[in-house]
Amino acid sequence: MSANPTSEITLTVNGTEETLEIEDRRLLVHAIREDLDLTGTHIGCDTGNCGACTVVKDGEAIKSCLMFASQADGSEILTVEGMEELPEAGEELHPIQAGFKEKHGLQCGFCTPGMIMASKALLDANANPSEPEIRTAISGNLCRCTGYQNIVSAVEYAADELGQTAAADGGFLDDLEAAVEDHDTARTDGGEPS
Amino acid sequence: MKAAPFARHAPQSVDEAVDLLASTDDPTLLAGGQSMVPIMRFRLSTPANVIDLNEVEGLDHLEEDGGQLRIGALVRHADVQASDLIADRYGSFADTAPVVADPQIRNRGTVVGSIAQADPKGDWGSVLLAHDGEVVTRGPDGERTIAADDFFVLPYDTDLGADELITEVRVPAASDREGSAYHKLKRKVGDYAMVGVAARVVLDGDGAIEDAGVGMTSVDITNARSPGAEDVLEGAVPDADLLKRAGEAASEDANPESDEHGDAAYKENMTRVLTQRALADALDRAGGS
Repeated sequence: MSANPTSEITLTVNGTEETLEIEDRRLLVHAIREDLDLTGTHIGCDTGNCGACTVVKDGEAIKSCLMFASQADGSEILTVEGMEELPEAGEELHPIQAGFKEKHGLQCGFCTPGMIMASKALLDANANPSEPEIRTAISGNLCRCTGYQNIVSAVEYAADELGQTAAADGGFLDDLEAAVEDHDTARTDGGEPS
Repeated sequence: MKAAPFARHAPQSVDEAVDLLASTDDPTLLAGGQSMVPIMRFRLSTPANVIDLNEVEGLDHLEEDGGQLRIGALVRHADVQASDLIADRYGSFADTAPVVADPQIRNRGTVVGSIAQADPKGDWGSVLLAHDGEVVTRGPDGERTIAADDFFVLPYDTDLGADELITEVRVPAASDREGSAYHKLKRKVGDYAMVGVAARVVLDGDGAIEDAGVGMTSVDITNARSPGAEDVLEGAVPDADLLKRAGEAASEDANPESDEHGDAAYKENMTRVLTQRALADALDRAGGS
């Protein structure tokens, strides 16, 4: 029997360039877990439903079990292992991870890496998400323990923390946006701008 | 390893993809892959060659051109969701995109891929039917245009030839007096529709309905039009009674099957209800009552 078709691919995973020789049929999640030994990305359902395998690919949350690794050649992948290395991370944890810890956003923890990566994509695109926006952003991720409420709180916590870090860094545009929002809210509420 | 062995090809042009379809043994096409990858990993399909369209140039357009809205084969559900053009003028598309699956899947999955898969529970086919849309294909003999009415044949079976691929779907550009909507009943976020109804109306200068389209999801062996509802609507001046009669006609045209989500009578009733609701939104967006 002849060898199965393979491809050489280059991925930038958590900032590190990795070159892999993989079978064309290999799923991205298997390349991440088994070839790169990054087992923080979980496999929950094997059907594309649960979201435990969510990673951020080129800025977008995707399910890494619904894509072949050969299709990801040249892309940038962020997994949960890369979160604590990001510039906005604290000494030990990224604010999103800290949020899950502070707000008890996990119990068994199996869904957590996927939840964190879905939240990361959300907060990158929308620094001040509303509760419905958070719930929509994690709607592709199943949690069988928490009932989701504390996960939503964790993301809200992270948004606050990230907002403060940005402000301390002189992120005046974010501040301006928040001020305008406060002002608008105050006007609708009939109160004075804060 | 989940999927059976295959060789992946990444054509850069439609011509190259068409050539690969003709020249490779047992090929399949892959776009967003949000259904195709699971199908392959469960070995429901075991193609020897996968022609991955994701790198093909010129298939990611979402635009009005020549009196038509054109949606290229690589336009993702999330692209439709984010489009100002869609938000401003194509209510049924704007309603549908955010209720397809979940955010991760909307980032990868494509409108055209969903239509090509022709799952009778897929949402986009109903929208295409309600808009009198068409499917544009390319094959060895060049381009072919297939009316949506002729495209859906059986569950997962379409008029697309084995040597063809879909380059885009098109619907007539919305006039200022057109409105459309999609209503979907599902048990929870991310589910397929138990029932879905897409409605489109065009009003004439006097406020009567000049043209109407009603497409239904999950109530027949394919996405299906409701000729009965369209007959009731066309030429009539909209009022509550008209919407009621259109809903009843759609329910007559629906042929749902009982399953774990509900019996046939329930789905027929929900077809009636969702048709009325979708029509009410469509009329509102058309500037009518």
